[in-house]
Amino acid sequence: MTSIRRARRVAVAGILLATALAACGDDSTTSESKAPDQTTAPGGSGTEAITIAANPWTGSAVNAAVAKVVIEANLGAAVEIIEIDENATWVGLDDGSIDAVLEVWPSGHAADYETYITGKQSVVDMGKLGPAAKIGWFVPKFIVDQHPELATWEGFQNPELAKLFATAESGDQGQFTMGDPSYVTYDAQIIDNLGLPLKYVVAGTEAALLTAIDQSIADQKPILMQFWKPHWKQLEVELVEVKLPDITPECEAALASQDGSYACDYPVDELYKAANAGLEAKNASAFAMLSKMTLTTEQQSEIAGYVDRDGLTAAEAAKKWVDANPDVWKAWLA
Amino acid sequence: MAVSVEALPTLVPVEVERARRQQRTIGFAVFAALAVVAFVLVHEVPSWMDIGIQRWAQDRYKWSIVNRQTSPIFTAMFNPISDLLNWSVQHVESLLSWLRWPGVVAITGVIGWRTGGLRAALAGAAAMFGVGVLADWDLAMRTLSIMAVAVMIALVIGVPLGIWTARSDRAERVIRVLLDTAQVMPIFVYFSPVQIFFGIRFPAAVVVTVIYALPPAVRLTNLGLRQVPVVMNEVGRSFGTTGRQQLFKVQLPLARRTILLGLNQVIMMAFGVVVLASLLGTGDLGQVVVSNVQKQEVGKASAAGLAIVLMAVALDRITTGDKTRVISRFARNLPRVKGRRRTIIAIGVPVAAILAARVFDATGFPSSLKVDIAPTIDGWVDAVQRNLRKDVPLIGGTQAINDFLVVRIINPVRDLLLALPWLAVVVFAAFLGWLVKGWRLAGAMGVCLLLIATMGYDNDTVLWDHAMDTLSQVLVAIVISVAIALPLGMWAGRSDRVERTLRPFLDIAQVLPQFVYLLPVIFLFSIGRAAGVVACVIYAIPPCIRLTSLGMREVPYTPREAAISFGATPRQEMRNVQLPLARKAILLGINQTMMMVLATVIIASLIGAGGLGLLAYRAAAKPGIDFGLGTAGGLSIVLLAIMLDRLTQAWGTSTDTERVA
Repeated sequence: MTSIRRARRVAVAGILLATALAACGDDSTTSESKAPDQTTAPGGSGTEAITIAANPWTGSAVNAAVAKVVIEANLGAAVEIIEIDENATWVGLDDGSIDAVLEVWPSGHAADYETYITGKQSVVDMGKLGPAAKIGWFVPKFIVDQHPELATWEGFQNPELAKLFATAESGDQGQFTMGDPSYVTYDAQIIDNLGLPLKYVVAGTEAALLTAIDQSIADQKPILMQFWKPHWKQLEVELVEVKLPDITPECEAALASQDGSYACDYPVDELYKAANAGLEAKNASAFAMLSKMTLTTEQQSEIAGYVDRDGLTAAEAAKKWVDANPDVWKAWLA
Repeated sequence: MAVSVEALPTLVPVEVERARRQQRTIGFAVFAALAVVAFVLVHEVPSWMDIGIQRWAQDRYKWSIVNRQTSPIFTAMFNPISDLLNWSVQHVESLLSWLRWPGVVAITGVIGWRTGGLRAALAGAAAMFGVGVLADWDLAMRTLSIMAVAVMIALVIGVPLGIWTARSDRAERVIRVLLDTAQVMPIFVYFSPVQIFFGIRFPAAVVVTVIYALPPAVRLTNLGLRQVPVVMNEVGRSFGTTGRQQLFKVQLPLARRTILLGLNQVIMMAFGVVVLASLLGTGDLGQVVVSNVQKQEVGKASAAGLAIVLMAVALDRITTGDKTRVISRFARNLPRVKGRRRTIIAIGVPVAAILAARVFDATGFPSSLKVDIAPTIDGWVDAVQRNLRKDVPLIGGTQAINDFLVVRIINPVRDLLLALPWLAVVVFAAFLGWLVKGWRLAGAMGVCLLLIATMGYDNDTVLWDHAMDTLSQVLVAIVISVAIALPLGMWAGRSDRVERTLRPFLDIAQVLPQFVYLLPVIFLFSIGRAAGVVACVIYAIPPCIRLTSLGMREVPYTPREAAISFGATPRQEMRNVQLPLARKAILLGINQTMMMVLATVIIASLIGAGGLGLLAYRAAAKPGIDFGLGTAGGLSIVLLAIMLDRLTQAWGTSTDTERVA
């Protein structure tokens, strides 16, 4: 049995070592994440660390990065950016593990707005961010050059033209490709109600949709899809938005009732900001700054371009833009 | 395979044989009658069958959102658990970051050395070092912290559950269904509830990982304890041990090898969900994979993915070690040589590494040692895409295969399943079950499909249709997987060289996050079901190849030699002796393949496969609207899985008993 005893001794020594390390570890580690805690004063003194969500697209990442630079330099509070999925963001906003999100696309989060902002009131609307986004139907430019009728939805009524968009998945009909199912979509309704010879296929992810775009351009085989701007892909390939019927009162009613009769273009998405209801009490100055923070579409595209085009990280891009544009962000602090 | 059974002489008395034949006739008659009824009755799933499960789930979800700050279920139970989980992950992360990379690598090596000797030590340490070479060390350590906490919890819950199931058959039956559900239920379905119950980020990530990785801990503990020879139990009892002594001094030590295998499987499963769990906001290596996939950066995503693989490999090597040696040492009670020196090394090496790291202030992993493999991989992917997609002589390229698969194979199977009256499908499944194992299995198969018919609607489409869509993809993927894996497995079972060549590919295919190869798959194929099937096949063939090869290798040499001495050619010997004797392992391999396909068909919805997988994904994508729908879709997948699992498992055992009889 000596061997077992020895094995135990090693184990015990190991555990002791580990505990000792853990003990010393505690005071010397996580300098970055702990630092803000040490400066924390009780109550909303304006210096408590705050967390901002960055959703997985460039615009969201640069908004958060810009806010972080401005707050840390001017308000003395540390900002932690949490890269997180859109839906998880709302759960975090609800319980306060996320303090703010700076870019919500209203069309995709009507249910969340109702649940958390108007219903539970655990989340507050911090106003518009500034840029307006537009979801719509897009096709590559080359196909509109060949068949100008495809610039509007009426063109797709022609089965011969719709068939240009056919794939193995869609058979005889043209394929309409939708990306991530978490984005808002009325496409199936629009196709149905306008009576278009199209088959609605869900690609599943934005990345899959982007790959389909690349293949379409490479093979010069057209694709019809739900897409939006601003999006970095729009800088890389030439896409044309297909004109859908203008929004009518009937369509607005259909949006409200969700009765499946929608048959118009997508409304413009005016991006807004949201915060946990406790943020104002926790850090009033940061709350005030974030509420006032706005960017124009051009400004946001410029910062996003540093990332998508020039390969900077979101943090570097934010620093670069903040250094160059003091008057813009100084207004947020006033 | 039927041939082999018939080739053996039957020793069944004539009367029994006659009774059995009569039974068969009755069975055929019953199913024929049922089939007629099914065709005559209703063609579509009737709407009264919708039991409202979607509404029920959606309401529960909504209730949780509204009450999570006030209900005692949350304030008294879930919130403290959540805090504890958060605390644990953060402290493990602190510890790891305090150790710095030399410390972590050294400790990995030392654990490997203690469990599996020098080889395991070097393999473990090298793999851990490789993590730093390929990816950001701090992010990797965050992943490791989440994994460590999740694996610990899985063991703390799993081993006692395993002990319980080993001691009570009733507990085993109940828990088995729960484990099956946990393993097959798409993660997307419990994504949102877990966030609401435990909070976003670390707690949610840990819980998701535990749910997914727990089953092997229970199963293998149970198996290990049940495998303890009766003699050993008797010996223990004859020495007058109490129940507790029996468990701790006899059974657990003897089951140790199997339980350790369980630990190993838990770790592997846990690493399988790193990437999905990172969607909950962990900000770790999994997140790097996700955000790069999002930007179509396959090279960067692969580098991070490979780092995850290496971390899993490191833990695999130091936990599988040479466990047999540990056992035999315990059993034979051999003294170990040079014990003290070992102790000194075991403590000295890590301490030295940590001190060195402090002295030289090695805060991050040295950038001079980093290798950026992203451009290389992007190059490969590009080349493959350029050369294989189109204009390949003879086969025409993957694009042509894509269209062929969809139009000629998947569509006909799906159309057939949809064209049949739904009750006819139920009857046919029950008939299959009856053929394989008799009435009980027939009942189980029928009930599973009937339950799917109660799952309600997705807008105008009845969920049944989505289930048939998914079933058609699953069947096609299983057939293709088995068609590829069986020959390869047999070849590997007979040739060491083939086995060695295949092993790294199998390892990577099994551990590499599926997320990483989803994009390359659609680079070659188009978005849609063909790409989904291919993704399933990639993930599903490794276990089948492995188990086939293992089964072939485990066939005792005596019967094979006997056949050869009777003048059998190698081919005859393989076909008539080795394969029939390896059949159980091969069927287990097919069973595993099926489970893998069912798991992947969910993920395949991220590249356009649609069906039940997409419903499940919608539960995570738009929980406020689609949680109920996704839950119904997830349950349908579980029902399909249970059905197919019971069928193949029965197939494996039934003919066995027949042969024995």
